[in-house]
Amino acid sequence: VRAPAEIRERGVADGREESARGRSEVDEHAVRALDRDGDGAHEVLLEHLERDQLVAETRRPVPRAQLSARAAAGLWALRIAVVLLSVMVLYAFVERLA
Amino acid sequence: VPALSHEDAVRSFDRSRVHHARRHSKRWRLLWLLVGPGILAMLGENDGPSMIAYASDGAQYGLGLFVPLIPVLFAMAFVVQEMAMRIGTVTHRGYGELVLQRYGRVWGWFGAGDLCLTNLITLIAEFVAIRVGLAYFGLDAWVAVALGLTLVAFTLSGGRYWRWERTVLGLAAFNGLFLLAAIFSEPHLGTLAGSFTFSSALPHGSTNTLLLLLASTIGATVTPWMIFFQQSACADKGMTPTDLRHGRYDTGLGALLAAVFGIGALIAGAALIGGSGGGIEGFAGAGYPAALSHTVGSAAGTLFALGLIEAGAVAILTISASTAYAAGECVGVAHSFNTTPGKAAVFYGANVGVALLAAVVILIPGAPLLSIALNANVLATVLAPVSLVFLLMLANDRLLMGRFANRRPTNMIGIAVIALVGICGAAYGIDSFLSSVNVIS
Repeated sequence: VRAPAEIRERGVADGREESARGRSEVDEHAVRALDRDGDGAHEVLLEHLERDQLVAETRRPVPRAQLSARAAAGLWALRIAVVLLSVMVLYAFVERLA
Repeated sequence: VPALSHEDAVRSFDRSRVHHARRHSKRWRLLWLLVGPGILAMLGENDGPSMIAYASDGAQYGLGLFVPLIPVLFAMAFVVQEMAMRIGTVTHRGYGELVLQRYGRVWGWFGAGDLCLTNLITLIAEFVAIRVGLAYFGLDAWVAVALGLTLVAFTLSGGRYWRWERTVLGLAAFNGLFLLAAIFSEPHLGTLAGSFTFSSALPHGSTNTLLLLLASTIGATVTPWMIFFQQSACADKGMTPTDLRHGRYDTGLGALLAAVFGIGALIAGAALIGGSGGGIEGFAGAGYPAALSHTVGSAAGTLFALGLIEAGAVAILTISASTAYAAGECVGVAHSFNTTPGKAAVFYGANVGVALLAAVVILIPGAPLLSIALNANVLATVLAPVSLVFLLMLANDRLLMGRFANRRPTNMIGIAVIALVGICGAAYGIDSFLSSVNVIS
């Protein structure tokens, strides 16, 4: 799957700009990759990464799950219990200090 | 083809070394490259309050109940952390963002709120631990603050996950000082071996103190920050499903080391049993290095003090990192050590900010620092069940996990862990509250 040329070029340009700021071995690796043409740069970097590992991919949200009414009620009950217990622990802690 | 970022380039470089090692069957090299998040989560949890809790267990009740309990608790921690590692490795996303996106903003922010509260309290306790360790050498609170904050700033300066991980791993190796402290306290080997038989009766004493120790000991092994940290760190490291086996080795090795070093702190504490005021209140953290020095020799006391400094320092780095991951994930901005501070201001700001806030608290004159240290783990135990339930739900989510979703045995153990953590936290919370309002004595 190939992205439109302008998107590909923008990605390479962004990467080259960021990489040029540092001098580490990693940046050298990036610069070497990005100094190739657009397709080549992607190939070098993508060779070692899974597609869904790319930052642009991980920024896309996963779909929302539908909780059943029972599950939602159970989660709220647990949440309320935990808050009450935390208040008890904090109260006892402050009381002991006093 | 999506746009490339500097973060992708850095991660690609790290992954190229993993691929090279795998292609050339360099097994030890591969293990070296892939260990990290699991060991850091486990040894990070062998922090100041935890080691004080273990030493308190030993000083109060001896080796009987707690020596076999610690490996059981770390086995529980392994089950929990393996799930976190697996989810991070398969989805390439952190716990905070998955809960937020999959179950809604309310649950995501609740989780992040719990994490920030317990992390802040625990971080205060970490600075207390460093301060206690340094006090043994005659150094004051300002040195503890300067040391902690310098470490945070230093480790963040690399702009790369790999560098941060290796620096903190190097520091975490010194958690072994607690084992040396135990050796120098010259435990009776027959008693130590006998304690593993689970034949000891339940320790006697006040129910509330026993529950406090149980809850804080559980809180020393299974906590929300570990889940946030390991899942996000696995994603940040760039681990993929092909690395799952090594992720399990990493988590298992971390659990083993943490259990051994935790037992070391317990054995060192047990050397004080029967001493003057040998209870938890009498020693209360600050007294342990000095009491050990007085009872079994200066070497044990010095090692314990150095161990507390190390435990506090490593935990400051890992717990600050978990807060930073959670902040970046919930706000929805860059959250990686592979980015620069300019590109990930929220991530780096939260990392330094939470450590700075905790450091300020320990400089407040008259602040109840030792009480905070002892109660930090308890609060983590009380709040843990909600995080654990969501972790279990994520690990069973076939849309996210596919064939890597939990199987029935893992679910059964996971449910048992949640039940145990919940019951211990609830028992202590209710018992201490009823005691404080004089309903029970």
